[in-house]
Amino acid sequence: MAKTLFEKIWDSHVVVDERNGRSLLYVDRHLVHEVTSPQAFDGLRMNKRKVRRTDLTFATMDHNVPTSNRSLPIVDQTSAVQIKTLERNCKEFGIELFDINSPNQGIVHVIGPELGITLPGTTIVCGDSHTSTHGAFGALAFGIGTSDVEHVLATQCILMEKPKTFEINVVGKRKNPHTITAKDIILSIIRQIGTAGGTGTAFEYRGETISDLSMEQRMTICNMSIEGGARAGIIAPDEKTFDYLRGRRYVPKNYDELVEYWKENLKTDSNARFDKSFTLRADEIAPQVSWGTNPAMTVDVTGKVPFPEEYAKGNAEEQKAAVKALQYMGLKSGTPITDIELDRIFIGSCTNSRLEDLIEASKVVNGKKISPKMRAMIVPGSQHVKKQAEEMGLDKIFKDAGFEWRESGCSMCLGMNPDILSAGERCASTSNRNFEGRQGAGGRTHLVSPVMAAAAAIYGHFVDVRELDLN
Amino acid sequence: MKGSVIKYERDNIDTDVILPGPYLKIHDYNELAKHAMEGIDKDFHKKVKPGDFIVAGKNFGCGSSREHAPIALSYSGIKAVLAISFARIFYRNAVDGAFLLPIEIEESAYRDISEKDDLDIDTSKNEIKNLTKNKIYQMKPFPELIGKIIAAGGLFNYKP
Repeated sequence: MAKTLFEKIWDSHVVVDERNGRSLLYVDRHLVHEVTSPQAFDGLRMNKRKVRRTDLTFATMDHNVPTSNRSLPIVDQTSAVQIKTLERNCKEFGIELFDINSPNQGIVHVIGPELGITLPGTTIVCGDSHTSTHGAFGALAFGIGTSDVEHVLATQCILMEKPKTFEINVVGKRKNPHTITAKDIILSIIRQIGTAGGTGTAFEYRGETISDLSMEQRMTICNMSIEGGARAGIIAPDEKTFDYLRGRRYVPKNYDELVEYWKENLKTDSNARFDKSFTLRADEIAPQVSWGTNPAMTVDVTGKVPFPEEYAKGNAEEQKAAVKALQYMGLKSGTPITDIELDRIFIGSCTNSRLEDLIEASKVVNGKKISPKMRAMIVPGSQHVKKQAEEMGLDKIFKDAGFEWRESGCSMCLGMNPDILSAGERCASTSNRNFEGRQGAGGRTHLVSPVMAAAAAIYGHFVDVRELDLN
Repeated sequence: MKGSVIKYERDNIDTDVILPGPYLKIHDYNELAKHAMEGIDKDFHKKVKPGDFIVAGKNFGCGSSREHAPIALSYSGIKAVLAISFARIFYRNAVDGAFLLPIEIEESAYRDISEKDDLDIDTSKNEIKNLTKNKIYQMKPFPELIGKIIAAGGLFNYKP
């Protein structure tokens, strides 16, 4: 029977097939961080259980680590305790940890691929909804909660109902790959299918546009699958995938043999059927800017802050939501997006903090200064990204322009470490969620690509990056 | 299961507003409960009573996978969330630790139920009685896996 890529990976990991699509799946890689794991380790201790496969479990600290000088002690005591707790748990249970001073430390979804822990055809779980990122490598990757984390630590298996398959086809060529980025593609998709459009499904991103993307760009796309409601997002691996991973620290010794197997097996059969399908034309995509309080509330940079009735298209609930969102965001309908002035810029997060993101942003910034009223931060996704960027002199470009160049971590994506917005502050952010209070209570988030954020830093308001000379 | 309703007339209530990021560092469940719903309702912890139900619109619990969200609601006293639909990680987290029942209802029931209505939920009959309005609504049956985890009293008691 013809199968999709998702179904092939699912089927090859079934340990026990119960009825009605309910399966116990084997987990190939388990990534652990400090926030969603403490209770799981407590549970193991309480029940005198061990970690079943310490060799398949990797931990780092990213969510609440400060991104300032690492030689200083952590001021926030509850953060310090959570970080210490992970250290203690990893030591007690024998799990490899990339701690705050490790050269491998970084956001869990940046370091997994970077270290070659993420591999095609594998199942990957992590107590973080953005685990979908790893799907960029043709892995089946799910975000899970703490009970499931404990279950996986104890059994190396996860109990799931099989999601439906949802094909997202992106066809054609982008007008300019430097200004129409992967972030603009995924925001366009979510804007059209809605935040619950993918509920109960796993996305497979396909089409010429997706094949054209680099691995880092594919990660940006898969990262935000959860923002479209899907549990996972996957892209079939190709030569780019195999080249990206070759030689990385944790890839198996028989890598080239594996590549042959992956080439043969990790693709959707030509006559396979998806449960759902959506097609987007790449040549119609413009740079995107979110105006509201969920990622589907997004418009083209050339657009205006919408009127609630125009956004809602007759749906009373959507209209109410838009009114609330505009109130929270402090925006007036009809305002051109390029008239929106900003207080803060955040370039970072598991969505957009990789080397390519920083290279593209640096082209916008090179030789310029940020707007005088602006506070702008660059937070590389990992220590490796930071080091590579410094070797290329990117840190100097950003610092000369007035950006802060910081240590790696989740930073201002989620408002649980010292990097937060104050109430009322407006931020152009390359992160993934513009929910109320996400970047700090009362903070106002506009989701954009790294080049859009960089340009906003220079001009003090949003600008259409297509109008800038990026050479 | 009887209780009274706290209603939020909105869709997409995300886990960041159910339990905002700064509190993810808290280990104690009763402490977490003090900050439940703080992102959209600062008075929630004052008005919630043990046994209460939350009623909300579509895609409840979207966003972050933090199990802290159902935990905070549960330790506030919430026994069930009735919503038109749920984001899947929240849905699963809610039952894994037997924190609360995520109950899917029809849009008409969502509209009909008001703040402070008293409900009597019978999951064995998939039936919700509105004692205040003297009406009966159907709840969507739990999918098989979720129903079995609930019946077992959480993921760790589940037997295939």
